[in-house]
Amino acid sequence: MPSRYLLRRLAQVLPTVAGLLVLNFCIIHLAPGDPVIALGGEHGDAAYYAFLRTRFGLDRPLPEQLLTYVTNVLQGDLGTSFVHGRSVAAVIAERLPATLLLVSTALVLSSVAGVGLGALAARLGRRPTDLTLNAVALLGYATPSFWLGQMALLALAVGTGLFPVQGMTDARNPQTGLGYLVDVLHHLALPALVLAANELALTTRLVRTGLLEALGTDYVRAARAKGLPEGLVIRHALRNVMLPVITVIGSRAGMFLSGAVLIEVVFAWPGLGRLLLSSLLARDYPVLLGMFLLASLGVILANLITDLAYAWLDPRIRYQ
Amino acid sequence: MRRGPMTVLAVLVLLAVWSAGSGPATGQDAPVRGGTLVAAIVSDPGHLNPAITTSGATHAASELLYNGLLGRDERGEPLPELAESWQVEQGGTVYRFRLRDGVKWHDGTPFTAADVKFTFEEVLLKFHARTRASMGGLLAGVEAPDDRTVVFRFKQPYAPLLYQLDATEAPIIARHVYQGTNPQTNPANSNPIGTGPFKFLSYTKGTEIRLARNPAYFKPGLPYVDGLVMRIIPDLSVQVLALENGEVDFLWELSGPQQGRIKSDPRFRAARTGYNPGGSNCIMTMSFNLDRPILKELRVRQAVAHALDRPAFLSQILFGDGKVAVAPISSEIPWAHAAGLKMPEPDRAEAEKLLDGVGWKKEGEGPRTARGVPGVADGTRLSIDFLHFPAFAKYGELVRQQLGAVGIGVRLRPLEPAVFAPTVFKDRNFDSNVISYCNGPDPEIGVRRMYHSSQVGPAPFTNAAAYRSPRVDALFDEASRTVERDKRSRLYRQIQEIVVQELPYYWLVETVSTRVWAARCSGFKVWAGLFAEAVFCRR
Repeated sequence: MPSRYLLRRLAQVLPTVAGLLVLNFCIIHLAPGDPVIALGGEHGDAAYYAFLRTRFGLDRPLPEQLLTYVTNVLQGDLGTSFVHGRSVAAVIAERLPATLLLVSTALVLSSVAGVGLGALAARLGRRPTDLTLNAVALLGYATPSFWLGQMALLALAVGTGLFPVQGMTDARNPQTGLGYLVDVLHHLALPALVLAANELALTTRLVRTGLLEALGTDYVRAARAKGLPEGLVIRHALRNVMLPVITVIGSRAGMFLSGAVLIEVVFAWPGLGRLLLSSLLARDYPVLLGMFLLASLGVILANLITDLAYAWLDPRIRYQ
Repeated sequence: MRRGPMTVLAVLVLLAVWSAGSGPATGQDAPVRGGTLVAAIVSDPGHLNPAITTSGATHAASELLYNGLLGRDERGEPLPELAESWQVEQGGTVYRFRLRDGVKWHDGTPFTAADVKFTFEEVLLKFHARTRASMGGLLAGVEAPDDRTVVFRFKQPYAPLLYQLDATEAPIIARHVYQGTNPQTNPANSNPIGTGPFKFLSYTKGTEIRLARNPAYFKPGLPYVDGLVMRIIPDLSVQVLALENGEVDFLWELSGPQQGRIKSDPRFRAARTGYNPGGSNCIMTMSFNLDRPILKELRVRQAVAHALDRPAFLSQILFGDGKVAVAPISSEIPWAHAAGLKMPEPDRAEAEKLLDGVGWKKEGEGPRTARGVPGVADGTRLSIDFLHFPAFAKYGELVRQQLGAVGIGVRLRPLEPAVFAPTVFKDRNFDSNVISYCNGPDPEIGVRRMYHSSQVGPAPFTNAAAYRSPRVDALFDEASRTVERDKRSRLYRQIQEIVVQELPYYWLVETVSTRVWAARCSGFKVWAGLFAEAVFCRR
């Protein structure tokens, strides 16, 4: 492992994050909207809203608020949520596992299935099966995920009763231990499939076109001439095709929050996507800033892992 | 409203005990014990302290853990709750409450008058927007002369008090839990201790709140179910699917398009109510910015009123679930609602005549053109902007369509609530808008703010029209000091007659909520926050 390179990359993280903090803070305060209105409800008098504003420090000048915020974050304190009245780190942390579970399941599903289907389609050439695979993948990509989710609910949950409609667990019969695991997986199936269906197409198409191109190159011809079985030939070619695919998967992983919002609302999945939406509507600045920070870190981390995966996949790439 | 002789009190107490013991009046069969009720709520409450917020999310999820001094019956009238009786003294300046004996907090600590005094002084009057805004300036003090007596002293006669003491308006929280802490960040907000029919078990953020039957509840025999789960399902149509799939038993709100299908299904029961934990008795109201030259002219406002076909709003937007507003105060507050007022009828020809009369002339297609309109340059097109929450887009579309038909152009500006409020009430940057003005349990709480001249901005959801009428101000001030209900009714009627003439607003439709539940369950009090206090379900 090129440890010097890794150190240098990690050293870049800090200034990037600091810059993002300031930028996020400014963007969020430039956007119109007033948190005390969401918080105070609609029946307060002017004194009440002023009281709330003072309580949350929103009456201070913006540069002062920014300074306080950055200082606190550097000391590891993300602040207190206006809405929840608890530490932002706790509010985000209790929602993170659900989203990670959903998004990583969907990512693995869509990556594995995408590579598999792409390879299959390439191998089949321009036959009707290939066309069908292509069309299905495209349809999955073009369909809005919330609509696909609703249709899946009608067809597979309400229609047949195979899957639950909402949530991560059964409200009536809470389980523990192994039963809990099975319960969660049962609830996870539909949202993960719908999210994966949405992301499947890009990987499938990328693998298919890449493979078609690679299968026409000299080294493949040479391999075939040597009498290598077709499966092995595909594996060789696939390794070269994987580089752009890894980039796409990596960027998906970094954008995990955006993909999850709609799916989490439709399936009442208790994750960060819903927290993001409700915090945005309530202008819960501390929680929003915390989530932006998390998302930024997610992108940075995903990029780093992608770069390292490159080096591992392609021996020609060397990081100094 | 003086409650004099002890016999009346005794009857009241007996009545409360009897009605509690014998189960809900709406249930058709004998109550069954046990089981778990699963209710869907639309958003994660964040915390479970209803005394520090008016947020509907927190109140829907937490009121069953608490009680008010008083409850409310189906018509919104006060019932004994933590207080078993009360007396109104000195013409409505002093209210004396006798507390129920033997009530305990969920942790076993006895509930006393000191809890009530603490809750009002340290929490409600600081953090509960409606309680603070309505009585904050008028309350001289809350006294607890002994453990079972609470006395409210006001600086002048104060009429609405008995209507704002339920768990929605004034839930009582425990002094021994909150004293000396910041009520907004006290960890008990996520691990609450109340006196209510259910005790707190767990709160899985984003997923559910689990409650268990409070065996020591002061209403004997209640509640019937052993457990209650508040399931957080943000999408209303998914809530319906969950109900159909048997995953939940109760929904707070059945949206219009789903009503036909669900109501005709024998597996479910439905009931309407104007009560909502976030705001009750709401009227979708169009406001006219009276600071704007075009809308300052009464005849233009009259023309708008005549151009609007309000039954179309009821049928096309609410699918019939509600009422056309026939007075400025909701019919859900029957004693204050002025029945039989003459409201502008839908009449396009009359609207066109009024606009012509002002000088807004029809010249070809599109909006009318100013020809001699006072305060408006000749040649100006008659066009107003119309602000609405994104959720109220259908109101905007109907307004645009119906006003367009008489030559009034409408530019729609959808704004989410956090932006809408400062734009309308602070910047006053709008011509017209639609707001769901919730009248609340008493006109003092939800109606006065719309019309009194002291309520023109910057606080949100106050007097959007910037209506200023010394006569109306004086009538409101008198009504708030008048304790006799008949007199108050007459004062509110006069107010309504005046504002229907002057049209600072136009009242479109009264909205109601349709609650729906599995037919195997009954006993829901859909008109109160303690909706599941007497619920039972057959298995």
